[in-house]
Amino acid sequence: MPEQKSRDARHDRDDVERSTDHAAIDRLTAELLPALIAKLGATGLGELEVREGGWRVRLRRPGGPGPARDRRAADRAERPTERGHQARSRGDHHDESRSAVRADPKNVATSPAVGVFQPRKDLTAGSRVRAGDRLGAVDMLGVAQEVVAPIDGVVGTSLVEAGDAVEYGQELITIEFGVPMSTNGTGNA
Amino acid sequence: MFRKVLIANRGEIALRILRACRTLGVEAVVAYSEADRESLPVGLADEAICIGPSDAQRSYLSAPAVISAALVTGCDAIHPGYGFLSEDEGFAEVVAAHDLTFIGPPANVLERFASKAGTRQLLGAHGLPTIPGSDGMLRDDQHALAEAERIGYPVLVKPSAGGGGKGMRMVRTPRELESVLKVCRSEAKAAFGDDSLYLEKWLDENRHVEVQVAVDRYGHGVHLGERDCSVQRRHQKILEESPTPALSESARAELAERAVRAVVAAGYENVGTLEFLVDGRGDFYFIEINCRIQVEHPVTEAVTSLDLVAMQMRIAAGEPLGINQADIDFDGHAIEFRINAEDPAHDFRPGAGTVERYLAPGGPGVRMDSHLYTGYEVPPFYDSLLGKLIVWGPDRATAIARGRVALEELVIDGITTNVEIHQALLASETFLDGRMTTNLLDRVGSAAFLAAAARV
Repeated sequence: MPEQKSRDARHDRDDVERSTDHAAIDRLTAELLPALIAKLGATGLGELEVREGGWRVRLRRPGGPGPARDRRAADRAERPTERGHQARSRGDHHDESRSAVRADPKNVATSPAVGVFQPRKDLTAGSRVRAGDRLGAVDMLGVAQEVVAPIDGVVGTSLVEAGDAVEYGQELITIEFGVPMSTNGTGNA
Repeated sequence: MFRKVLIANRGEIALRILRACRTLGVEAVVAYSEADRESLPVGLADEAICIGPSDAQRSYLSAPAVISAALVTGCDAIHPGYGFLSEDEGFAEVVAAHDLTFIGPPANVLERFASKAGTRQLLGAHGLPTIPGSDGMLRDDQHALAEAERIGYPVLVKPSAGGGGKGMRMVRTPRELESVLKVCRSEAKAAFGDDSLYLEKWLDENRHVEVQVAVDRYGHGVHLGERDCSVQRRHQKILEESPTPALSESARAELAERAVRAVVAAGYENVGTLEFLVDGRGDFYFIEINCRIQVEHPVTEAVTSLDLVAMQMRIAAGEPLGINQADIDFDGHAIEFRINAEDPAHDFRPGAGTVERYLAPGGPGVRMDSHLYTGYEVPPFYDSLLGKLIVWGPDRATAIARGRVALEELVIDGITTNVEIHQALLASETFLDGRMTTNLLDRVGSAAFLAAAARV
């Protein structure tokens, strides 16, 4: 409380400005960006720029034009429902979330978004990867969200197929610890 | 009608929409955040899909996540519920761009009614009285002071966007006005991303009465009567009832008829609510329109026997309304109690935690819309609404009596709720006489209100 008293008018103004700035940044990242990304996905544009007050946001589409990709995602929509997130269907929903058959969550790459999964083509079971390596991507309205390896290791089982619909947090690819056992002694798994 | 609908919301309204879909024979997919994995709508759904983490900005408020979920599950429509993306015209536009139907007014209609000041002007031009206010948005402090002088103090400073009382202040002097403008602007900017403000004359002893309308794509509209939402705490509705005890039957009919005429003429579509302030003399002033299904819609369902969510879906699917004003019967009296995870003893601090035991009340004229179950863990990330208790009776006295019994029967152990404030209301003469005004709880103080009820 005494601190507050010692503040002069200038400080108060700075605080207000700073909090306005923070609010603006928060809004840009949290609210405006997803909307812009969606808009970019919806249009055929390669780039989108928005100015608002003192702020400017520019989005550029990674890779080729979008609507075609969007359409493909929509076309696939019929098929993936048969698999993919179908695990969540009535009945097994609660069982699934409680069951202990899941792999150690740390050893599984999960989906960063809801969308359509595409694995990296050059990766196969047995490929060596480092934590943070890109394993594939989930296409969310034409924007690729990277799927990354959670730990160093070797690509194990793919739990979904290319083109499957996946939900946020869904387990996609297991990462196993270094094989063969003889080459390193740190078999701490 | 749609084949499959994505429900992009949570809690009791997700459950309500799921039930409407099933009634209409439409498949439904519940979209949920990680925090809602164990929620009742997800558990009851035939199909559910996780769209993001608990942070609403990355799940329920994320347009790309919601639309992507609709596409990959093969849905042809999205129901946004209330709050979140329900009145976001940008979202509605992108939904349409993906060949999906937004269940609500189309994007261009949402856009037309997006600005409160613009809507007041538009509906004012179509014959609705509006509260004297500033001429458009406040350009600067000087403009604000000049306009306040012209309107006459006290005035209410209001943000053009949003609701829920954020960025809103009542001021009685030029000095007060000068001191709140900056705060209101930054609050409005933070909450709604838009810092434009306007002024409105403050009406002291007013009631909040709103008219429910439904308009189809072909310009055919009906009203479904009004709801009185005068019981508020800090601009948040707590209890709603229909019909309003504040107006005579002929005054109610006039209000509702003028509302639906204006909104049809202005090109509105789908279900919506026009909010009015009613002053001590019974004069009414239009304040704003809500372009969505509202929390308190069951009050109207109870007195009209209509399913408003189903109606909303039919209109969005392009079906004609299929009913005329004369077909709508208003029967009896209904009251809704919002049951919130709030602690009345500690300034209504919101709470979270595990529901150790949940028992819903029952009996004639009792409806409980809630996503609670015994063992459910209320996540701390979203609003505090735990459910809505709606009671109906052939008259107000019976509805109140049923309300008392039902509130007594309701068991929610493990979480502190605001049930006490409802019991206090049902013991208060002001409420029983139908004399609640929007400022009463705040003026008297909720604590004093509770204490008075305890003495009765």
